[in-house]
Amino acid sequence: MFTAVIAIGLTGAACGAVLAVAARLFAVHEDPRVEELMAALPGVNCGGCGFAGCADYAKAIARQQAPLNLCAPGGAETVQKLAAVMGVAAAPLARKVAIVLCGGDRQRAARKFCYNGIADCAAAAAVGGGDKLCGYGCLGYGSCARVCPVNAIEITPGGIARVHPELCIGCGRCVRACPRRLIHLVPAERFIHVLCSSKDKGPVVKKACQVGCIGCTLCTKLAGGAIKMDGALAVVDYAQPLENEAVIEKCPGHCIVKVPAT
Amino acid sequence: MTMLRAARRSPGGVHPAYRKEATQGRPIENMPLPPLLRVSLSQHLGAPAKPLVKKGDRVRRGQRIGEAVGFVSAHVHAPTSGTVQAVVDWPTPAGGMQPAVEIVPDGSDEWAADLAPCADWAAADSRALLARILEAGLCGMGGAGFPTHVKLGPPANKPIDTLIVNGAECEPCLTADHRLMVEQAAGIWTGARILRRILNARTIRVAIEDNKPDALAAMEQALAAAPEADAAIVALPTAYPQGAEKQQIYAVTGREVPSGGLPMDVGVLVENVATALAAAEAVVEGRPLTERVLTVTGRPVARPANVRARLGTPLSDVLAFCGGLREPAAKAIAGGPMMGLALPTLEVGVAKTTSGLLFLAPDAAPAFTSLPCIGCARCVEACPMRLLPAELSQMLEAEDYETAEAYQVLDCIECGCCAYVCPARRPLVQHMKQGKARVALKRRQQQERKAQA
Amino acid sequence: MTEYLLLILSAVLVNNFVLTRFLGICPFLGVSKKLPTALGMGLAVIFVMTSASVVTWALQAWVLDPLGLGYLQTIAFILVIATFVQFVELALKRHSPGLHRALGIYLPLITTNCCVLAVAVINVRNRYDLAHSAVFGFGAAAGFALALVIFTGLRERIERAAPPRAFRGTAIALVTAGLLSLAFMGFAGLVKM
Repeated sequence: MFTAVIAIGLTGAACGAVLAVAARLFAVHEDPRVEELMAALPGVNCGGCGFAGCADYAKAIARQQAPLNLCAPGGAETVQKLAAVMGVAAAPLARKVAIVLCGGDRQRAARKFCYNGIADCAAAAAVGGGDKLCGYGCLGYGSCARVCPVNAIEITPGGIARVHPELCIGCGRCVRACPRRLIHLVPAERFIHVLCSSKDKGPVVKKACQVGCIGCTLCTKLAGGAIKMDGALAVVDYAQPLENEAVIEKCPGHCIVKVPAT
Repeated sequence: MTMLRAARRSPGGVHPAYRKEATQGRPIENMPLPPLLRVSLSQHLGAPAKPLVKKGDRVRRGQRIGEAVGFVSAHVHAPTSGTVQAVVDWPTPAGGMQPAVEIVPDGSDEWAADLAPCADWAAADSRALLARILEAGLCGMGGAGFPTHVKLGPPANKPIDTLIVNGAECEPCLTADHRLMVEQAAGIWTGARILRRILNARTIRVAIEDNKPDALAAMEQALAAAPEADAAIVALPTAYPQGAEKQQIYAVTGREVPSGGLPMDVGVLVENVATALAAAEAVVEGRPLTERVLTVTGRPVARPANVRARLGTPLSDVLAFCGGLREPAAKAIAGGPMMGLALPTLEVGVAKTTSGLLFLAPDAAPAFTSLPCIGCARCVEACPMRLLPAELSQMLEAEDYETAEAYQVLDCIECGCCAYVCPARRPLVQHMKQGKARVALKRRQQQERKAQA
Repeated sequence: MTEYLLLILSAVLVNNFVLTRFLGICPFLGVSKKLPTALGMGLAVIFVMTSASVVTWALQAWVLDPLGLGYLQTIAFILVIATFVQFVELALKRHSPGLHRALGIYLPLITTNCCVLAVAVINVRNRYDLAHSAVFGFGAAAGFALALVIFTGLRERIERAAPPRAFRGTAIALVTAGLLSLAFMGFAGLVKM
């Protein structure tokens, strides 16, 4: 009994000594705040902040190489938590969601030819300029839906991408995935949008799509500066307030819509 | 002895039904001028040419209307005399929009005398000859469209010792090069000799597939009439893609172009027979490139033919010249069935690289559903570049571009052999094209970042 | 010399610890998603198993047997194995933080990896001397690493090949492991040991 205790005790002591030496030899200096910062981040690892993952962003914050308000999925809550760990004041963060600025699904937009190939938007856009007559519109093959980490994008039965704003975390992956750059991040509380990105002139747009912007400029007069013309396309300026829902009814192209506010 | 048999064959490849019977015996027909020509300023690889004319300008045939921009680019010339209607953006077979010059012919077909003929080219300076090739706006007429003057001026540390004139025309259904060899063998041979003079190459070979005995005979006669040192015809065993550059170099010389390399890395240069003929016309007659021969074929076409058309002739007019369609067509392809591009519209103009116009009936081009890869490896057997199309397509579907680059997706020549044999009907060539574009983009971005750092 | 080679052959192919003896399944399934991680795990296990074989043999021969403390074998062996694993963890954290992060929870789990304890106990049961113990320990670990690397290569390809939805992930991995085990049964009888 006694020998057993001594034997195991000595063995344990020897092991402990080895590990103590090893710990000294292989010491790694780590900022203790990194753990706390990681706990404050949502852990989605979406890359929306521009870093490789939540761990990377946490390390960058600890090294004071990154601002605190880059995490869109975390939102204002996370910014507060990160600020608390770092002991600084929090910068405000507005919640943004993605929106696909195109309304031309198969029923409403004309097709040039029948595309029979890879179901990927970049691939389809490379074949004959895309199978839609409108050279700017959404092709609906789902490249954006596939990269969404929270499955917030639906390809409607009509064949067009639609973001569900209540699910969107604003990480921006879909913005990068769309080969036609149709997806934009807009403030979450906005609900009036011009669902068209075609820079073609009115008659051309009319041939290509039933719900395209024909450039009549009627909305610019009703919106009080919140909608501006970019050539023949009406574009909402999200920095300006817009609450006049009359623009929706008055639009002759039926391309201004109300996407429910979250 | 001017005829040799190729001793080697490239690995892989397929033997599709060639279907050349419809047009291989039909002499080339000259098409009359259409009411409107739409000459693309981007008919070649490299930067599009800059327009030199505007609406209302009067032009003559052979007048330069587009100027080469940068090193890899080519001039564009008016295919006939007439008035410029507009300079507009127009769709290309590849799908993008590029500027094109619309010309209304005046019917007189008057030549501009910008380039003087040079009958005694054998005595001329090779640099002067090269300058003519540049002036004439030549580019690879086999389909790649690489500006010829750039190809003919390799860097000093990569001298060319073998010139191969490519008369293989391995693409099914096309017979334009075949008819050129039968009817204009002397001109092609003159062009080949001129190219050899420019390169100062030691050896010259004319490679022709053995399914064209009349072309072989015609070219043999031309060689015999104007002998050159170390010149010979090589009869290649018929296979697809025997006309692809790297495969042809291996079959004729036994040299393998290194991965990621160019033919000049092994001292070889390959030029299409039509390009050689255009070179002869440019030098001897002082005529820039204004027309080309293309094969119009396919079961729906009323009268398949080999047509010599001016550059910029709308393909709808070319089809009308061949009697239009006698049955509905599901697909129109610029080129052949293996490597051609499906056309979104017939209003594109004939370009320097348009070797054919093929129409497929609905039963020949049914809509297909592709399945996941079944791992049968038929594509691996068929790939002439010895790649793994099955693995690559799976990587590209999973968007794993790093592994695809490691598996050498950039070496793919897009010949279509893999897609041809795939039992799961996977769009393999489309995957490869996308993968190559993405990997090339990533490499460019990396280089830019390194340059900035 | 031949004896040692046969010992290694037996441990790697004929009686592969993972595919024939059915030990060490946890890291086999857990660390087989990416090839660099799997290789790292394989090397870590080779180090732990070989050194643990030697030290546990010494412990058994010089401390436990002479003092009649054979019943403390399990506790003592685990103590030694845990020490080696912790040593590896510290070393990796310092010299290869990427691998350390990739291995994650599976690194400390080498302690409870039945492979490691098994080889230590088998060494004692078969009454191997020090040299044989070391060689057998190395062979067993090499067999584990081989099985792991082969399996990882297979899994990477299957992942790309889009199996039916019901099979994705662990399901097809287990089916593959079974087939790999079936393949290794072909080595049975290769070495009479």
